[in-house]
Amino acid sequence: MSEYIKPLPIPSVESKPFWEGCKEHQLLLPRCHRCGSYWFPASATCPKCLSTEWEWSKSSGRGKIYAFGVYHRVYHKGFETDIPYVLAVVQMDEGPRLLSNIVNCAPEELQCDIPVEVIFEDVTEDTTLYKFRLLR
Amino acid sequence: MNHSLRGKYAIVGVGQSPLGKVPELGPIGLFAVAAKNAIEESGLSKADIDGLITRGPDDSYCHHQQVGQALGMNVTFSTSTDNGGASQVLGVAMACMAIDAGLCQAVLVGFGRDTWSRTHRSATAKRQVATRNESQSSREFGPEFGRFGAPVNYAIAARRHMQLYGTKKEQLGAIAVAFRTHATKNPYAFFRDPLTIEEYLNARLIVEPFGLYDCSIFIDGAGAVVVTSAERAKELRKPPAYILGFGFGNRLTGWFEQDNMIATGAKEAGEAAYRMAGIGPKDVDTAQIYDCFTHMVLLQLEDYGFCKKGEGGPFAASGALGVGGALPTNTSGGQLSEGHVEGMLQIVEGVRQVRHEYGPDRQVKDAEIALVTGHGGNTVCQSALILGRGTS
Repeated sequence: MSEYIKPLPIPSVESKPFWEGCKEHQLLLPRCHRCGSYWFPASATCPKCLSTEWEWSKSSGRGKIYAFGVYHRVYHKGFETDIPYVLAVVQMDEGPRLLSNIVNCAPEELQCDIPVEVIFEDVTEDTTLYKFRLLR
Repeated sequence: MNHSLRGKYAIVGVGQSPLGKVPELGPIGLFAVAAKNAIEESGLSKADIDGLITRGPDDSYCHHQQVGQALGMNVTFSTSTDNGGASQVLGVAMACMAIDAGLCQAVLVGFGRDTWSRTHRSATAKRQVATRNESQSSREFGPEFGRFGAPVNYAIAARRHMQLYGTKKEQLGAIAVAFRTHATKNPYAFFRDPLTIEEYLNARLIVEPFGLYDCSIFIDGAGAVVVTSAERAKELRKPPAYILGFGFGNRLTGWFEQDNMIATGAKEAGEAAYRMAGIGPKDVDTAQIYDCFTHMVLLQLEDYGFCKKGEGGPFAASGALGVGGALPTNTSGGQLSEGHVEGMLQIVEGVRQVRHEYGPDRQVKDAEIALVTGHGGNTVCQSALILGRGTS
C-alpha cells in the first residue's frame, strides 16, 4: 500500500467517539435527549436547548447535497491527482450538515439537492473517513 | 437603539502604506507607515494619540502590543480585535465607544499585512494560503477532505445562490469588471489594466464556480485612520468624515448552517447601522463593500437592502456599481483589484469619497453618505459603518 500523504483528522476530545464510529463504518450524530434534535459537530450542550443530556445516535447515512464547490487549484500535494475534486456540504436526513467529498462521480453530474449516501474509506490503519456518493 | 453617538465622532485622518509588492517591509512596518501618514494628515501629533486598535490575534501579524512598540506609544486604551475582515469597521466603532466612555480621546485604528511577500517567498508558501498560524488551522472536518483556502466557502455559497435564484457567473463577472474599471483610475491599485467579461470567464478555475478574478488579491499593504470627537475635528486639517452609524451581525452558528450563507449577518449589521444613522439604503451615495470574493459583494448588495434577496445578480449586471451608476461601489478597485488589506483600505476610500477628494473620474458626485462594510472571522462576522460629509 502506497503511503497516505493527505492530512488526517486530528480528533478533539469531543469528536473522538465520532471518529471511532467511522472506524466501525457507522456515522454517529449527537442527539439531544430533551428536544430530540441532532447536531454536528459534537459539543457539550445541545445548541438548540442547551441540554447536557445527549447521546451518539446512528445516522441513516442518507442526505442530500446542500451545495458544493469543485477544486481545480492544488493547495496540497496529496490532492494533486484528485483534481477536479468535489467538496460538498451534505444535509443529512436527520438535519445536521456535514462537509465531505462526493466520490465516484464526475463533478458535472452534481447539482444541489440531489440525494447521497455515506460510504467509508479506511485510509490508514487508524483512520476511516466518511464520504458520500450519489444515491442512484 | 441609542442615537446619541450619531455624528459625535469622526475620522479625521487616513493613511496608507505603499501597496502591492513591498518586500522591504513587514506587517508592522507597513502599519507604521500608514499610521504616520494618517496622523500627519489629521494635523494631530503622535502625542495626541492615546488609543490604539488593531486587527488582531487570529492573523497574528499586527498585534497592538507590537504596533504600539514600533510606534513608540503609551496609550490609555488599546486592543486587537478578532473578527477577521469585520475587525476594521469594528475597530472604528470601538474607538467611538472608548472615547465616549472617557477612556481616551484620539484613537488610531489600522491594519497591515505582508500577504504578497509571505505567499511568494517560496514555492511551498505560494501553494499555501499562508495567512494564519498553523496552530489556528482546522484539525478535522476539513483538511482531510481537501478543504483548503477561503475561496471554497464562497464558491459553495455561490453555487447554492445560483440554484435558488438562477444567478449567473456572468453576473459575478460584472462585479469583477466594474471594480477593475475603478482600479484603472487608482495609481496604487495592484491590477490597473481593464478586464473584459471574456477574460473573466476564461480565467483559470480556482474552486468552481470561481475562477481567478472572483478572488481578491494578496498584497503587502496597510491602512490606518484616526478617530476623535466631532468637536475636536472642527479644528483639524481635513474635512472630517462623521461616523453616523455602525452595526454588526455575527452568525456564529456557522456559514453553512441555517440560511447564513444565503442571507448573511450583513442584514442585521445594516439594519443596526441604518437605524443609528437615521437613514436607509436609498440614502447611500457610495458603498465600499468587503469584497474578498465577487459573490460576497453580491450577497451584501442584497443584505444591505440595495436590491431584493435573489436579485443581486441582475443588480450587479445592470451597471449600478460604476461611478455614475445607481450605487458606485468599491471606487478604489476594492480588494478584487486594488488589493486585500482586510477592508482597511475601504474605510480609507469611504472617507476620501465623502471628503470629495478625487477628480471626476473617481469621485462619486455629491457623495454625502458612504457605507463601508466588513466581513470575515471564518465567514461569520459582518460589520457596517456609515460615514457622512455632515453630522446627520
